[in-house]
Amino acid sequence: MKEVLKLTNLSIIFGGLVAIDDLNLTVNDNEIVALIGPNGAGKTTCFNLITGIYKPTTGNIALNRQTIVGKRPDEITKLGIARTFQNIRLFSELSVFDNVLIADHLRVNDNVFTATTRLNFKQEKFMREQAEQLLEEQGLIHLKDEKAKNLPYGLQRKLEIARALATKPSLLLLDEPAAGMNPQETMELTSLIDNIRHKYNLSILVIEHHMDLIMNISDRIYVLNFGKLLKTGTPTEIQNDKDVISAYLGE
Amino acid sequence: MNNNVKIKNIRNLIISLILILATFAILSFLDSNSDEMGYAISIIERSLIFAVVAVSMNLVNGFTGLFSLGQAGFMAIGAYVTAIFTIPIAKRPSVYYINGINELIANIEIPIPVALILGGLVAAGFAALIGIPVLRLKSDYLAIATLGFAEIIRAIIASPMMDKITNGSYGLKGIPAFNNIYEVFILSFICISLMVLLINSSYGRAFMAIRENEIAAESVGINLFKMKELSFVISSFFTGVGGGMLAMFMRSIDSKTFQLSLTYDILLIVILGGIGSVSGSILGAFIITAGKELLRFFDEPLTIGGVNIPLFKPGLRMVVFSILLMLIVLFWNKGLMGGHEITYDNIGKFFKNLQSKLRLKQASNNKQTIKER
Ligand SMILES: Nc1ncnc2c1ncn2[C@@H]1O[C@H](COP(=O)(O)OP(=O)(O)OP(=O)(O)O)[C@@H](O)[C@H]1O
Ligand SMILES: [Mg+2]
Repeated sequence: MKEVLKLTNLSIIFGGLVAIDDLNLTVNDNEIVALIGPNGAGKTTCFNLITGIYKPTTGNIALNRQTIVGKRPDEITKLGIARTFQNIRLFSELSVFDNVLIADHLRVNDNVFTATTRLNFKQEKFMREQAEQLLEEQGLIHLKDEKAKNLPYGLQRKLEIARALATKPSLLLLDEPAAGMNPQETMELTSLIDNIRHKYNLSILVIEHHMDLIMNISDRIYVLNFGKLLKTGTPTEIQNDKDVISAYLGE
Repeated sequence: MNNNVKIKNIRNLIISLILILATFAILSFLDSNSDEMGYAISIIERSLIFAVVAVSMNLVNGFTGLFSLGQAGFMAIGAYVTAIFTIPIAKRPSVYYINGINELIANIEIPIPVALILGGLVAAGFAALIGIPVLRLKSDYLAIATLGFAEIIRAIIASPMMDKITNGSYGLKGIPAFNNIYEVFILSFICISLMVLLINSSYGRAFMAIRENEIAAESVGINLFKMKELSFVISSFFTGVGGGMLAMFMRSIDSKTFQLSLTYDILLIVILGGIGSVSGSILGAFIITAGKELLRFFDEPLTIGGVNIPLFKPGLRMVVFSILLMLIVLFWNKGLMGGHEITYDNIGKFFKNLQSKLRLKQASNNKQTIKER
């Protein structure tokens, strides 16, 4: 099995707080891996480390065996890691279409002059077609011209995933994608995640509190507590683990 | 392409042609009656020049979400570069008669379009240098840095050290004027069109993504520093060109032309027109420029019935303007256009809305009369 993402002895310290403490984690090709843990366990921090928003204090992050520590977030996206955010971060005043279209900019190889003078019209056309196709696939095409901020919450989450997919990632990081969704929407999301993994041949690392979703789709689970790895295993192993249960009940 | 879109395109083409013809009809009327219409022409020319600068301020402040206050500085650079290289060589001894002229520039005269572009490029070069350290910082240090920069440029221009180049505090005279209003119109049109094309390109979308959410923009692969720098440099280029145009319009400039109040005027235009709206900035440029002329009486002494009203003295106009600015920010913070553009479709919608509103009103009036009966 091919390792897509590998975190080795990863730590980050904020002031005195060890937010991630000596974490080892791997995501294999085409695998869905869940990262769970109580509030403040360090899950989002882990994503921020992988995407280059924070620099680790020690340890290594490798994408396809190449270290990505010290790279900027936009460089990391170009290398194939895309993400969504716990608090949705859309380009709110822009249209649904533009939100997705912007994510194509990273493949623009014209300079600003050819873009301004429209000498790149072929590429522009290609980008538009790609964005349109993606919206079609994600069932958002009818909302194309709607401002992102006017979408209902569940669709905003969906759009954020579509935007991440538009960067053509090999690894997708989802930070609590089901937060604020009703059971119906959560079910749809579950199948969506499983769907895109096959369709776009992705590896997915997902943070979630909805246990149904996690147990349904993940191949393996990592449990974080106070920045430390508490347990790792298959859904059934984790479900019945005493330590995990007590961590969640807050003993 | 479906039929509807085709019809719309043809319609837009026809409206565009009519608008172009109308514009040139107006311009040619003004131009052929330039003696009587001199005042109107100068207001329109000034408005066009300010429209260029306002749109370029909007590019960086409205579309990219940065906060630059260096407009006066970049305009000064463009204006001085244009002036220094276009004042006819024969005239120069009389312009620099007090301090003399630096030998290096004494005999270099370049064509006006080249000088305008050069002015823009020098302004862009300075912007690039300021941007490199400042735009890497997260917050709004850009406002402070550009504000300081504009004042430093002004001080340098006026300093005795620069006497032989900028003619120090005496300023430069004898700058060649535009031959007619067409030149001003076409130059402004080109500058603004280029910026509109940029805004609607994939680079423009990247700028707007940064304005909307920096972290999200980064997460879709946008290099924040590179795009901010690009936007700032391009904006400063056009601001410099606008400065050069202003120099040609005014024909004589000195360091006082480029005080902070100039930046303030442009900011007012951008805010009035609507942050993030090109058509708003153009509209704003015309309203503010014409409005300033109308408000000119505030600066002149006013006597009513033999009593001199003490408030009315030079400077009051700026007070009135500041109050206006505050009122807009407080009550109308999206400006005239509120981030929208004037497009044919939007105008159509506007009139349709108006029509249906009128109809509703009429309907309710009818109801009322029926009831009254
Ligand atoms: N930039 C920062 N500076 C200081 N402390 C931080 C920073 N970012 C996160 N932390 C701290 O690190 C710890 C882990 O936070 P994190 O957001 O990763 O938790 P989480 O597991 O995502 O929790 P939740 O389920 O609530 O989203 C928290 O105690 C948080 O306060
Ligand atoms: Mg979190």
